Amino acid sequence: MPGRLLALSVPENLFGRFLVACMTLGFAALIVTAGVAWWVSERNERYDAAVNHTYRVENMIGDVHRFVEQAETARRGYMLNPDPSFRRSFAEARSSLAPTLDTLAQLVGDNPVQQKALTAIRADLAQLTRQHDAGNALVERGDAAAAIALFRIDTGVQVVRDLRRVFRGMLTEERRLLALRDAEQRSGQRTFYIVLIVAVALLILLAAASALTVRRYTRDLTRSRATLQTLNDTLEHQVSIRTADLSRANEEIQRFAYIVSHDLRSPLVNVMGFTAELSAATDAMTGLLERAEATAPDIVSEDARLAVREDLPEAIGFIRASTQKMDRLINAILKLSREGRRTITPEPLDIASLVDGIGDTMHHRIVERDVTLMVARPVPDIVSDRLAIEQILSNLIENAVKYLRPGVPGRITVSGEAVRGRVILSVADNGRGIDPRDHARVFDLFRRSGTQDQPGEGIGLAHVRALAYRLGGTIDVASTLGDGATFRLNLPETLALRDIAS
Amino acid sequence: MNDYKSVSIVMVEDDEGHARLIEKNIRRAGISNEITHFLDGTSALDYLFNAVEGPAKNGPALVLLDLNLPDMSGTDILVKIKAEDSPLKRTPVVVLTTTDDKIEIQRCYDLGCNVYITKPVNYESFAVAIRQLGLFLSVIQVPDIEEGG
Repeated sequence: MPGRLLALSVPENLFGRFLVACMTLGFAALIVTAGVAWWVSERNERYDAAVNHTYRVENMIGDVHRFVEQAETARRGYMLNPDPSFRRSFAEARSSLAPTLDTLAQLVGDNPVQQKALTAIRADLAQLTRQHDAGNALVERGDAAAAIALFRIDTGVQVVRDLRRVFRGMLTEERRLLALRDAEQRSGQRTFYIVLIVAVALLILLAAASALTVRRYTRDLTRSRATLQTLNDTLEHQVSIRTADLSRANEEIQRFAYIVSHDLRSPLVNVMGFTAELSAATDAMTGLLERAEATAPDIVSEDARLAVREDLPEAIGFIRASTQKMDRLINAILKLSREGRRTITPEPLDIASLVDGIGDTMHHRIVERDVTLMVARPVPDIVSDRLAIEQILSNLIENAVKYLRPGVPGRITVSGEAVRGRVILSVADNGRGIDPRDHARVFDLFRRSGTQDQPGEGIGLAHVRALAYRLGGTIDVASTLGDGATFRLNLPETLALRDIAS
Repeated sequence: MNDYKSVSIVMVEDDEGHARLIEKNIRRAGISNEITHFLDGTSALDYLFNAVEGPAKNGPALVLLDLNLPDMSGTDILVKIKAEDSPLKRTPVVVLTTTDDKIEIQRCYDLGCNVYITKPVNYESFAVAIRQLGLFLSVIQVPDIEEGG
């Protein structure tokens, strides 16, 4: 069922391509998803760092703010009550303030808004420090009243208020940044989810499509396997039916050939017989003519003389030659049909020695025509009918000896090779070759190729082919005109009797 | 052959040319016995077994039999002649046919044919064969028909 197989092979191809496309798409989706996930986690890390940063900045701002307030409170307390503990607390706050401020400056180094605020803070603090130092010096000298008076007129309160406002501004700025990063983070998250959903959807779609395709393909496969199984199961039966048909047809042809050749012989016997009678009658007439010429030449007409002496013998000669030829042809058909009915007996054969035997039989002719016959040993073993193989090979070798290339000593090589349960025997020569147009024709009965300068009826190769078929084999020829010919006989290695078309 | 004239030759041959050639050559061999010629099996059988002047009823005969007949095979006639209850079972039968098939020859002898001759296509051989057959006929002893046998 070549049609069916062809129909299967197309979707198989498409099917494979479709699955590969699905898999490629699926992997691409996975890779994109992984990339996006990596990108998102990177962003998360950055976001976390940013949030941390914001909290640290806020902390620092708080610390600075606290130290400022602590210093302010300690100063005021010291003014009202010059207790050294206030002085210590103030000193503490003052000393902590500078490093904290430096840290804060470092943290917001990348933000010009906060930088600006920080500059304002530093200016305010410098002003405050001057005022504090002046006030504190007065208190130390015991002039608390002067310090308080100075406190009343100095701008410290105003500066602290201003500082508070700046701190609030800085905090607001940090909050704003945080909110910004928050929004960014959320949008990144959303993008990730969208990508994830799309990828998952794509994967599901691809999986579904693949599964569907595989299912349909499997179903087709199952169906075709079932068909194949059925075919397989019935193959033996079909083969036996065909074989029986063939055998019957073959038998029919054999019988036909036999009857035809046989029945053709009958009229031929008559033609030849009565031709002989005619010939005998002509002899009598010749005698009569001679006597008439001797005794009464005047009654012998020129026509009568020509008829008896030339026309009759010529006609009889042609009839004889033709009937003899026809007899040979009929005998050839008869021989072929007989061969078809002969019982085939397979036995192990040594082809090499068989060819040697043929060479011995034809020794005289081979030497006479300056031919070398060789066997390329080893020749594979074969189990077949001895007589048939012998006839085939001797026919082929005989032909090779017959049709030499003028002026070239003949070389005939018989070789064999075993190929998967078959044996191919080749008979190769360097003779005159066969026109490729005649390759099929030479195996037909009564057909010959090339110059008809050799005796023969065109029977040998027809006989060879019939024999090859009977042995379950085939024969063909490879040749170009003027460049030798190689006849290849393809036979089963072991001839089983059921292979024979009887 | 004591009673020479009374042995008649029955020739069953569908080809008139063959029959003529056979007769000519038998005559050339010097045999002058009566030759009765039949072109088909049915009329030959009828003559052999039923005719008043036929061999079953009237004296010894020799049968020249061709195997390829239009209405039956020559072997059918052979079987009938050589059958166990046939009055002609001892009548010599010479099968004279174109077939030289080994199996066919064996079969004819198995069925009781006395001589099997293949008609050679080559006329000289044919003529020689028939003339020799004629010589053979001139010395052959043919049994008389037994009454009721």
